[in-house]
Amino acid sequence: MNRRAQTLLALLALALLVLPAFASNYVMSVATLILFFAFTGQAWNVMMGFAGQLSLGHSLYVGVGAYTAAGLFFHYGLGPWAGLWLAILLCVLLGAAIGFLAFRFGISGVYFALLTIAFAEFTRIGFDHIDWLGGPGGLFIKVAQRDQIDLLNFRGPPAMYYYAMLALAAGALALCAWLLRSRAGYYWQAIREDEEAAQALGINTFRWKMLAVILSAAMTAVSGVFFAFYYNNLFPEQIFHISRSIEIILGPIIGGIGTLFGPILGAAVLTLLADGITELMSAFGIEIPGVKQVFYGIVLLVVIMFLPNGIWPTLARRLGIARQR
Amino acid sequence: MTRGMNRRQFNKALAATAATTALQPFGIVRAQSSKLKVGVLLPRSGVQSFFGQSCQKGADLAPGLLKEMLGVDIELMNADTETSVDTARTRAERLIQEGANVLVGPFDSGAAGAIAQVCEQRGVPFVINIAAAPQITEQGYKFTFRNFPTSVDLVRNGLGLMRDLFQATRTAPRSAVFMHVNDTFGQANAKAIGAIFPTLNYLPFKIVDTISYDPAAKDLTVEVSKAKATNADFLLLVCRVNDGIILRREMVKQRWNPMGIIAPGNPGMYEDQFYKALGRLSEYCISNVPWYDPKSDLANTIEKAFDRQNPKDKLMFHALNVGYTFEALMIAADAFKRAKTTAPRELAEAIRQTEIRNRMMLGGPIKFNAKGQVDGNLSACIQNLNLRPTVVLPAAAAEAKPVFPVPDYRKT
Repeated sequence: MNRRAQTLLALLALALLVLPAFASNYVMSVATLILFFAFTGQAWNVMMGFAGQLSLGHSLYVGVGAYTAAGLFFHYGLGPWAGLWLAILLCVLLGAAIGFLAFRFGISGVYFALLTIAFAEFTRIGFDHIDWLGGPGGLFIKVAQRDQIDLLNFRGPPAMYYYAMLALAAGALALCAWLLRSRAGYYWQAIREDEEAAQALGINTFRWKMLAVILSAAMTAVSGVFFAFYYNNLFPEQIFHISRSIEIILGPIIGGIGTLFGPILGAAVLTLLADGITELMSAFGIEIPGVKQVFYGIVLLVVIMFLPNGIWPTLARRLGIARQR
Repeated sequence: MTRGMNRRQFNKALAATAATTALQPFGIVRAQSSKLKVGVLLPRSGVQSFFGQSCQKGADLAPGLLKEMLGVDIELMNADTETSVDTARTRAERLIQEGANVLVGPFDSGAAGAIAQVCEQRGVPFVINIAAAPQITEQGYKFTFRNFPTSVDLVRNGLGLMRDLFQATRTAPRSAVFMHVNDTFGQANAKAIGAIFPTLNYLPFKIVDTISYDPAAKDLTVEVSKAKATNADFLLLVCRVNDGIILRREMVKQRWNPMGIIAPGNPGMYEDQFYKALGRLSEYCISNVPWYDPKSDLANTIEKAFDRQNPKDKLMFHALNVGYTFEALMIAADAFKRAKTTAPRELAEAIRQTEIRNRMMLGGPIKFNAKGQVDGNLSACIQNLNLRPTVVLPAAAAEAKPVFPVPDYRKT
């Protein structure tokens, strides 16, 4: 990272740290959402961007993570810090099961993607039948005081959730930056570019792909726990739905798959674009339902057509912070 | 001669608008006005867009009618939740930021839960139009109010109306086969029926079999023949509109004529599409659902206003959505009239003291209990008669007498 990049990153971090002092609750909620998608996008990026394994079912880990922590809190009063570990464990086991099934039996590419969708879907259907977790009627966590910060039970004002999500997003960025420079990162990139060549060089592709899936699942589980305690109500239909998986992957795709800042930039662009279009339409007095989605689609189409590698690589070059090769 | 806007002027105007829009979130201080600003959050796009737009019709009627009825000025601030919990939450924040004094919506329990938290945090009253999850009003919220039956009440009311139907028609069917869609909605209904039905000892029938099916199924031959084979007296059906059409056609194909088809609390068989697709075959199907009282003065007033505003549409196909959305806005306006202020705490207190007797929907007066829930919202037994949903029970609101057992479809 060159000096200019370090300066920009420091400025961004500073801006994000002081944001709650100036921003309204609305801006805070949008910023929290951006950070949430930046974090989950980063988690997905480990699997797809680094190791080249396309998952279209990441809502599975969000949902299982969310329900595990919420269920423990709801039934036993166990705070999210306890539930977090079980959530991670369950998601790691699920990720390992999917990875083992796929990689052991040579399922890859679109077939692997289909497998991830299948797991998310049958988990959704399964959760519809788990009465202990509310079934299709949903699980509602008791909402207590909101003005004082209660870190133990993860209860507090919007700023607390914002800072929690900021810490998670920053942590994910640091972890991914470290991973990319580690042995695992180099192996993953080798597998992503040419798995057979990587195998020929002696890389145990099964092991390293499994690691990518497990790590990605664990990170996404954490976002699920956050989701549960931020929204306080969970419905299988909403949390496991494929549209949530698509939301997760859109950020990295638009921002730049395999890059460190792509998921963050993509999440910011998409969330601001969605809200910006709504605001702009409202300013012009346009009130036609669905028009926003049309504009949104057009903008995405344009980005994908003209910046097929995502926005970040081009932006980084323009800002003069792209790594020199 | 007037000149059009050139490119530079247009760009400047666009930049100015964008800047104003972008800076708006940072402006918080707002003056209070004599007008009540109501943020209406509905899923006007996405999976639930049909229902959201249907509810919007009820909201659009409110400013004019409430001005006439209560002499209160209300301004609607519409927002689309896009059938997403995330969007519902940010839109709620935005509406409050823009100065909404009260929020109304959102036709979904998940979105209602998210909005309720925002309202609680910001101390802004929230009147739920439609959302059935019982837990929403069990959270101890101080600013959340709901004038809609919970899912448990919906099923209990629906099953209770069956007793009334059998009494009114002097029939006592001994058996029913229960068919339901296997999506989230159908599963939730099936679970509620499974829990409540055994506790209602006044119902004369037993459920001899339960058959679930995919709502996206293009063919229900096997399911219908299985149901027919049970020889049940009538069909208890939790469906949606498309599968309801397929199922009814299949029943005719297989010449299965049970005593009737009764929906215990779900939409589907009284929707416009059902009549258009099935014509005479749609006749006599029964749905026990929350409905408006066709004999109430307010319902008639709203129907006239609805016809003026939507000349190509009919209120009966939007009954539940329009009715409960209008009533939610009426609750807010009525509270504003009594509180004489838009201050949120006073407004919330006034809502808590609500007692509205002149209402559109069936049920007792709108009066909130300590949890912010209106008890006593009722369902009606709606039967398809002459290609329109007709209230046949309760007797006080009935437009016609119920027909049960229903005649053979060839005689309709």
